Amino acid sequence: MSGPVRRPPLAVVLVAIVVIALGETAGAAMSRLKPQIERYAAARVAANAGAHGFSGSAEYDDEVRDRAIFAAEAGLSFFHLHAEGLGLVLFFASTLVASAVPGRIARGALYVLLTLGGLFPLGYLVYGAAVLEAGRDSGVELAERWILTPLGLTAIAGLLGLLVVLARRRA
Amino acid sequence: MSAVDPLAWRMPPRWVLLVGVLSIVCAEVGGASMARFKVELARWARNAMLAQPTVHGLVGVRDVDERILDEALVKFDAGLRLFHLHAEGMGLVVIATATVAATLARPGVARRMIIALLTVGGAGYPVGYLVWSALIPSRGLDNAKAIAEWLVWIPFGSAAIVALWWLAGLVAWRMWRA
Repeated sequence: MSGPVRRPPLAVVLVAIVVIALGETAGAAMSRLKPQIERYAAARVAANAGAHGFSGSAEYDDEVRDRAIFAAEAGLSFFHLHAEGLGLVLFFASTLVASAVPGRIARGALYVLLTLGGLFPLGYLVYGAAVLEAGRDSGVELAERWILTPLGLTAIAGLLGLLVVLARRRA
Repeated sequence: MSAVDPLAWRMPPRWVLLVGVLSIVCAEVGGASMARFKVELARWARNAMLAQPTVHGLVGVRDVDERILDEALVKFDAGLRLFHLHAEGMGLVVIATATVAATLARPGVARRMIIALLTVGGAGYPVGYLVWSALIPSRGLDNAKAIAEWLVWIPFGSAAIVALWWLAGLVAWRMWRA
């Protein structure tokens, strides 16, 4: 099987580039704006003291605050890492779809699955924000249940679909 | 000569591909070297730090000094790891995004600028982590970070970010026009 390497639709290319650009920008922000991000996170935790289960004991509350800020920063860090990776995965996988998958409907379905899957890293932004607003455990659960799991499954479904089509073409 | 397929990817210039692949090769070699020469690297860094006690705030009290040395060695190691990680990723980013620019940007100054910024910024940025690590023993943690930041991370990272958003805007514009 050989031939020209075709490009996917512009919308798919745009999502891939924007996800990579967001990943890069988040990395720069993490590095340059660390104190500001920490201050903002601490302020949001203080504003949502009830959601974080503050007890009024300074020692306990400080530990809860530190854990929440750490989790929010981890969310931003995971976003940076995953956005760079998944933007590339979307770029290369959708190029394979464009070049090797016959049938407009099959290609369209795979583009949709892969592009939605490419948005998976945004779940980590939600993760970071939700931890600050809803408390650490509730925030993590919210992001995992409603964003990370569905979009992650979509990405996996798209890649498995591509795998099946490539295997069938070879056979 | 066959007609150009508007739905096919166009290759970026050869020098861009070379830079992208070179970045990936350096990352691989860096990763292998970190594993193979871990002890030697740590010993070199430690000896270099002991030779510059004032730079690192070493006071001659073992308990205090060992903590300072440990922290600096962790950062030294982290710099090498981050170089490995970023150079692998940015090599691929350079190849992918330069391919998009070569295909979707009209020939001219804008295309050349985007490709140059993506390539130089993308491949140069990870080198900052090597600079950071290399300077920690002689300049101390904060100075090494400041030098790497102003000499490498900010100029090269900014170039890559500007080029990526420029490219995103260009693809969005093409979509809008289509």
